[in-house]
Amino acid sequence: MARRVLGDDPFADGAPDGAPTDDKAKADAPKKRSVPPKPRKSVPPTAPRKSKAPPPTADEPVARVAPPPAPLPVIEAPTSSEAPSPVDEAVEESVGAADLPPEAPASDERAVLTDAPRAADREESLEDTIRALEARLDKLLEGSREQAQPILDRVSDKLRAVASAPAARGDGAAEARDEGAQYDVAKDLFGSQYYLRQWGRVAMRDRSEEVDEFGFDPSYEARWRPLFDFLYERWWRVDVEGIENVPAEGRVALVANHSGAVPYDGIMLAAAMRREHPTARPLRWLAEDFVSHLPFMGAYLTRLGAVRACQENAERLLRKESCVAMFPEGVKGISKLFGDRYKLQRFGRGGHIKLAIRTRTPLVPVAIVGAEETHPLIAPSGVVARMLGVPFVPITPTFPLLGAAGLVPLPSKWRIVFGEAMPMNAYGPDAADDEVLVGRLNEKLRGTIQDMLDRALRQRRSVFTG
Amino acid sequence: MTDGRNDTMRVARGPRAKRTVALTGADAFLGRNLIGLLEDDDRVGRIVAFDVKNPPSAGRKTRFYKVDLTQPSVDARIAEVLAAEDVDTFLHLAFLSSPTHASAWAHELESVGTMHVLNACRERPVRKFVMWSQTILYGAAPSNPNFLSESHPLKGQSESRFLNDKIEAEQVVARFARQMPGTVVTVLRVAPILGPTVDNYLTHYLGRRLVPTLMGFDPLMQFTHEVDALAAFKLAVMRDAPGVFNIASEGVLPLATVIKLAGRMTLPIAHPLAYPLARALWAAQLSEAPWMFLDYLRWVCVADTELAQRELKWRPAFTTREAVLDHGGAQSLRDAHLMRASSHL
Repeated sequence: MARRVLGDDPFADGAPDGAPTDDKAKADAPKKRSVPPKPRKSVPPTAPRKSKAPPPTADEPVARVAPPPAPLPVIEAPTSSEAPSPVDEAVEESVGAADLPPEAPASDERAVLTDAPRAADREESLEDTIRALEARLDKLLEGSREQAQPILDRVSDKLRAVASAPAARGDGAAEARDEGAQYDVAKDLFGSQYYLRQWGRVAMRDRSEEVDEFGFDPSYEARWRPLFDFLYERWWRVDVEGIENVPAEGRVALVANHSGAVPYDGIMLAAAMRREHPTARPLRWLAEDFVSHLPFMGAYLTRLGAVRACQENAERLLRKESCVAMFPEGVKGISKLFGDRYKLQRFGRGGHIKLAIRTRTPLVPVAIVGAEETHPLIAPSGVVARMLGVPFVPITPTFPLLGAAGLVPLPSKWRIVFGEAMPMNAYGPDAADDEVLVGRLNEKLRGTIQDMLDRALRQRRSVFTG
Repeated sequence: MTDGRNDTMRVARGPRAKRTVALTGADAFLGRNLIGLLEDDDRVGRIVAFDVKNPPSAGRKTRFYKVDLTQPSVDARIAEVLAAEDVDTFLHLAFLSSPTHASAWAHELESVGTMHVLNACRERPVRKFVMWSQTILYGAAPSNPNFLSESHPLKGQSESRFLNDKIEAEQVVARFARQMPGTVVTVLRVAPILGPTVDNYLTHYLGRRLVPTLMGFDPLMQFTHEVDALAAFKLAVMRDAPGVFNIASEGVLPLATVIKLAGRMTLPIAHPLAYPLARALWAAQLSEAPWMFLDYLRWVCVADTELAQRELKWRPAFTTREAVLDHGGAQSLRDAHLMRASSHL
């Protein structure tokens, strides 16, 4: 609506005698006549046209801040003799009135009706931008202007003080003009959109401003992707088998063995899905509590797509038809010693089975071979770990012996085998409470994965070359 | 609100008496703006405002009653007014939006004040009772799922009177809802409110040049745009939806991104240092929020708004990101004003 008022002025320029040539102006013209003249904020007919050169008066900033732009009915009421107008109109007035040039047909009525002592000859296009912004904010929230009002009042007080300062000094007209010139430069800077855009740009520099509801940040993941691709292709030379067992769409849960002290298996499984799966399904994997609670680690993994493992989170993901990887062994899987490698630990309490039954999600068993050798744990770390408040500390042949360099994973050869999906839609919703059934299914799943692991291990000739 | 006109059409179908809405906390952010919104709504005939100070947004329909909820005999006074004005909807909004050191007074106002208000509504029953609650009452905890549903227990934070008073208030309201089946009781748990004009501990936190965070922690944050919050309350006044609802704008953002979007810089502090530091600063009355609020910078506390969308038929019009950007835009405009002013002083 503000735009309409602003748009009036070229037509008024071209056809001051009320003979508009444009459609829009035609549409506006009768409206103007039928609507009783509204007491706009006074625009004396003698006022100069909107000029780029700012008037040299020193009290100009006062006028800029003083007109209450607030679209509050309360504030607006006294200026209008009619019934209180809707808020939209108030916004229009506050935006439009200031820069409305004196139009020939309308100006007479206005001149008669205007009684507000506002000085309209100080209007400036520079102010339009700021005022338009303010009006937009006002429009966002009808009537909540008061919060900002104290601040604006304070600003206007300060500006008033500024404005009166040179006049009070009276060091000569030349200096006053200099002051004025300086002031206008600053005003130009703030008036233009440049600063807002510039500040906006600085704030956006990192571009990581959109995350999904679990905190996955695609731009962050894209930044790290070269590293993961390197690990996938060159470092661990991952072989994938049976990835077509993962359905192309719909909810599905990958259930995998967990290994390797530092949980790279989730990241590599996601990389495998992204690179090898026909539809490149995005994978979300569930991370143990302690990982998501570690400083730095938790924040980074969350941005890469890990989700803290709990029933609510997994259920929410599955109900949105996503592909979720689970490691039911949990911490016990990654903290087991090298001697126990590839021996599946207890599969939790079967929470993943209950979840799959409840949400009718097919389970795809996955065996990951090679991850155990990336960080072979050679000693338990009870006391130290308890002191640090973590479940275990990876004591490997290289860490902590070689310091941070010891955390470089060994370049074992990896193989990821996807088994056939176990459909879960044969069971009714009550089956999730059947502990016996859940236990059976859990053992069956665990056995399947163990068999897949054993078979892959039998086929493997060397840890490092496969 | 844009849907106001549509709603008036719907009401026009059957002639119905106009509502009389009473609200406490009328001079606070929510109360003041809701008075402004309800003044514009034809379905509301009279607004009864309870507070210690007259709200500036009061118009023709608003009748102001000076009432201090911390006074012992206030329930009788409220009941008197409820009967005299024939109030049918009661909005209880008299809660503090920012933590305070005056915890005894805050307890009187929030916990005991709610009791007084409910006693008044028992003495002179209203048709509907709407209460403002907050999602921070769930508490930030490592065991929180990423999205908290309304059935999740309100754990608060240990030793936080600010949260515990509000939890107590919610508990007595839940008891009231069970005792008074004739009253529609709606509790709106609103995520921290952010926007161009709101002023609370969160805007103060984001208003710093350097915003302290905990090193290595970057939890997902969820805010409510002030317009979304007001829309939810207005909807709760207009529609009957008993129950507890989480209210928040759409989407989440990591804390670091929030600060970046607000145009500020982070000041990461190691958490073993930050807690004692925050404790000392709070004791010295130099910080905005007590030390346990650091947990919100560490763990996730994000609510699931699905129930409100389904039952209350409320849809967030903004995202968390837009709330942050709107706040940041208004803030930098204010900064520009201040900078322009101060550069010539």
